[in-house]
Amino acid sequence: MSLELVFQQALNGLSFGALLFILASGLSLVFGMMDVVNLAHGAFYMLGAYVALSVVQLTGSFWLAMLAAPLALALLGLVLEPLLLRRLRGRHLDQVLVTIGASLVIVDIIGQLWGREVRSLSAPPGLDGSVALIGGVYPVYRLFVIAFGVALAVAMSVVYRRTKIGMLIRAGVEDAEMLGALGVNTNRLFASTFATGAALAGLAGVIAAPVFGVQPGMDTDPGLLYSLVVVVVGGLGTLSGAVAGSLLVGPADTFGKVLFQDVALAVIFAIVALVLLLKPTGLLGRIRVTR
Amino acid sequence: MRPLVRWALVAAAAVALVTFPYWSAPWESTRFATTLLRDALVLAIFALSLDLLVGRAGMPSLGHAAFFGAGAYAAGIAGQRLATDQLPVTLGAAALVAALLALVIGVLVVRSEGIFFLMLTLALAQIVFAIAFQWTAVTGGSNGLSGVGRPMLATVDFSSPDLMYVLVAITFVAAALLVWGLARSPYGRALIGVRENERRMRALGYDTARLRLSAFVLAGTIAGIAGALSAYSTRFVSAQDAGLGNSVRAFVTVLVGGAGTLGGPIAGSALVSLIERVVPSLLPVELRISEAILGLVFIAFVLFARQGMVGLGRQTWLRVRSR
Amino acid sequence: MGGFAKNKLAEKRGYTYRLTRRQFLVASSAAALAACAPGAVTPSASSSAAPGKALKIGLLLPFSGVYAELGTSMRRATEFYLKQHDNKLANRPVTTIYADDANVTATGIAATQKFIDQDQVDVMMGVVPTPLAYGIRNAVHAAKLIFIDTNAGGNALTRDTTNCTPSCKSPYIFRASFSSYQISYPIGDYLSAKGTKEFFLAYANYGFGTESAADFTTGLKKNGGSTTGNVAPPLGNADFAPFVTQIKNQPTKNVYSFFSGADAIGFIKSWNSLGLPAAGYKMYGAGFLTEQDVLKEVKELANGAITSLFWAVELDNPENKKFVADFQKQYPLLPDVFTVQQYDGMRALDEALKALGGDTSDKDKFVKALEDVSFKSPRGDFTFDKTTHNPIQDIYIREVKTQNGQTVNTISDKIAKVTDPGK
Repeated sequence: MSLELVFQQALNGLSFGALLFILASGLSLVFGMMDVVNLAHGAFYMLGAYVALSVVQLTGSFWLAMLAAPLALALLGLVLEPLLLRRLRGRHLDQVLVTIGASLVIVDIIGQLWGREVRSLSAPPGLDGSVALIGGVYPVYRLFVIAFGVALAVAMSVVYRRTKIGMLIRAGVEDAEMLGALGVNTNRLFASTFATGAALAGLAGVIAAPVFGVQPGMDTDPGLLYSLVVVVVGGLGTLSGAVAGSLLVGPADTFGKVLFQDVALAVIFAIVALVLLLKPTGLLGRIRVTR
Repeated sequence: MRPLVRWALVAAAAVALVTFPYWSAPWESTRFATTLLRDALVLAIFALSLDLLVGRAGMPSLGHAAFFGAGAYAAGIAGQRLATDQLPVTLGAAALVAALLALVIGVLVVRSEGIFFLMLTLALAQIVFAIAFQWTAVTGGSNGLSGVGRPMLATVDFSSPDLMYVLVAITFVAAALLVWGLARSPYGRALIGVRENERRMRALGYDTARLRLSAFVLAGTIAGIAGALSAYSTRFVSAQDAGLGNSVRAFVTVLVGGAGTLGGPIAGSALVSLIERVVPSLLPVELRISEAILGLVFIAFVLFARQGMVGLGRQTWLRVRSR
Repeated sequence: MGGFAKNKLAEKRGYTYRLTRRQFLVASSAAALAACAPGAVTPSASSSAAPGKALKIGLLLPFSGVYAELGTSMRRATEFYLKQHDNKLANRPVTTIYADDANVTATGIAATQKFIDQDQVDVMMGVVPTPLAYGIRNAVHAAKLIFIDTNAGGNALTRDTTNCTPSCKSPYIFRASFSSYQISYPIGDYLSAKGTKEFFLAYANYGFGTESAADFTTGLKKNGGSTTGNVAPPLGNADFAPFVTQIKNQPTKNVYSFFSGADAIGFIKSWNSLGLPAAGYKMYGAGFLTEQDVLKEVKELANGAITSLFWAVELDNPENKKFVADFQKQYPLLPDVFTVQQYDGMRALDEALKALGGDTSDKDKFVKALEDVSFKSPRGDFTFDKTTHNPIQDIYIREVKTQNGQTVNTISDKIAKVTDPGK
């Protein structure tokens, strides 16, 4: 591999990692806050992409879709959390199972409403060109994705550490019962957290669409599989874990698939296995005390 | 119910199950119900083995299909490469390969817990799937392994629909007896102990890692045998047999039926087979709601009947009895 | 044991029907539902010719999963053909029974067994993925069920192979679509004969992709051509940029690609955004790389791609022009290649039945009648190779162009009467 090639692949890996971060951030948030591995996360991601398709078809505006999809998913999250998860508070495995059921239903409804054809979304005008870089041209959109990922990480970090809601979330992660005892409406907090997680998944659906496409099966591959991989590899439930996970998995998968072509299917799982065997709770995971 | 009466009933049920194709022949001339029941029983064996992990030992594995697939491939490949169709050889190969694979993977996963255990088993199983999918020379690759031989025992050819069913049914009864016996044994209780409170078990002197590993290998071996039976049923092995979809299917079956009970995986297999095979043939293909139905059933069970169908059955029985 | 069971009750009562009551209920509800589905016609009432016994066709298609689009297309083709023919094939009214394989091989094998055991269909059609076709081959052969494969292109299905691995031909299996050899070898031969001899390969790393790449390479070698390397993304790959970047960093400008559906869309989009056309790289491929499902999404991004297939929407022959026009009168879209495959399968069945006078009781005569069909299909002249039961068809060299605001495959050349070698 020439240096030019390495540089280009590094950019590919970074932009891929950025997409993974945007995709996984919602899952990480929900787990960190509510101890729920939301296995409907992939279905949310898929729904976001299909909503974006319709919005772009109706209005022609990708940016509008970037607003509409997260909003729609947030609404869905606000409905689903009290409906399905609230009564299972404390029964973590059950909450996971109910999200599997929800995912099956959502994916099927998407198929009924939008059909089962393979679709795609183009990058918005302005971001659909390519710029000259070392080694040739590189798509502007992928550079945008890197910038967006960084901005999202920074924004989430600021909210998490510097705002009241972030403080509440951090407190909730530590001890939700105590938080409730202190008079905080934990129902509302959990519902909004779940809604935010869903919104982030929907946002990922829009942003990733020009790269990953919009088709049946996207809820599992890349949706859920890649989010789980990033979140578990990075260390569950923390923002820095999600960042670390995407920074590792993005480039590692990109280089791995190209260098070890015959086992490309397995590369991402080999990464997971390797990390978990060396660090059983993920790169930045802390050992949680189970209540 | 007196134990002797209960035993007699169970024995009668087992005999009826194994001889199903023969007494059902008058109204079941097309063998459709036989093959349906056969496939449901294969799933039941697979689910029983997973329940050992999920229900009894508290190890939620999402990679159990790796052993199912390994057993299926081993039976088919052994039959072809060793130029023999004798069941002891091919089933033996299936059990051996599945056990070895379960040992290798088990050693790696046994110290993980919860979501990490889940992800690790998933990841390692996906690696097995990838190997099955790409290693065309050995497994047939993405096109699958065709030409799986006829299952023979001495000179008896088990490949006819009726005899294949009998083979599967007998294996199912054996597996159910094994799991039932295990649950009552000190070993089974130790597994439950590890699930409930591992630290205390260790303090009591149990080698919890070895307990979990043995459960993992045992479960993997039984899954491998289920896989071999599946290979002989369809005379074909697909890479998907080792894939995530199959692992999830078994997981759902166990949970819906009722984890940690004997009847659970069995009831779950009946329900899942019903939804997968019978419902689609009754509904017009446009509606195609089998996935959504499964999802809703799942949600309903988790919300209202957490112990699964067996638990629901028990509650109803208690309520009826107390009238 | 197994196979076609007798309906003892019917025999006792002297019926020649072989339907049990349950089967009749299933069949008639299927027929009723087919009547309710858009585009179908109520069977039996309108026929004035001597009504034959209903012909049951079992269609195994994907209606869920990644190939759902193809299943829908092929179902539409079936209904289209039946609508044009008063829901009859020869003098037999048709009952269609659809089953969804959901792209899970085990499900498809079970559905086939149901067709054989319970529904007792007269003919089976469909099957999209090759592994499924390989998986059901033995069951279909043992049951002597006439199966017209209307998509799965794995070479082995219509060939003589050692130990029938991964599969092999059967007298009862016909193919109305293509063998992957037919869409890969001729273009390799054609391009290398015309002087383009060096190629880099890019293909999806599964059976169909590797087979196509191998056959293309054989075609190249026939005229002294060669390949200089390859990238093989996994099937269903999400991000194509790393692979296209590899292509861009090697010197061979001619790239033969095999991708279909979502993979093709991802590949072509990456190809463009990474600037390969401007850098002088040329895209070649097997036809599915630029079929309708792909072109409607990538549009002019695919311009200039040269692919080979046995059909294109733009194909200029009277049959195709009529076919496309009639199809568009019924449905608000253009027919795609999967439509053509299924449509031709129905036509072949129809022609065979006409020759038999509607009598499907003698299997060997049925097979012979199918072997003898010959008609003008939208793709050109259609016959089955009598040895392999694979179609003998013209392969067109097509180039993607945008004309009149639509991006289509235009025909630039033709390789006539391509046969699959059969071994």
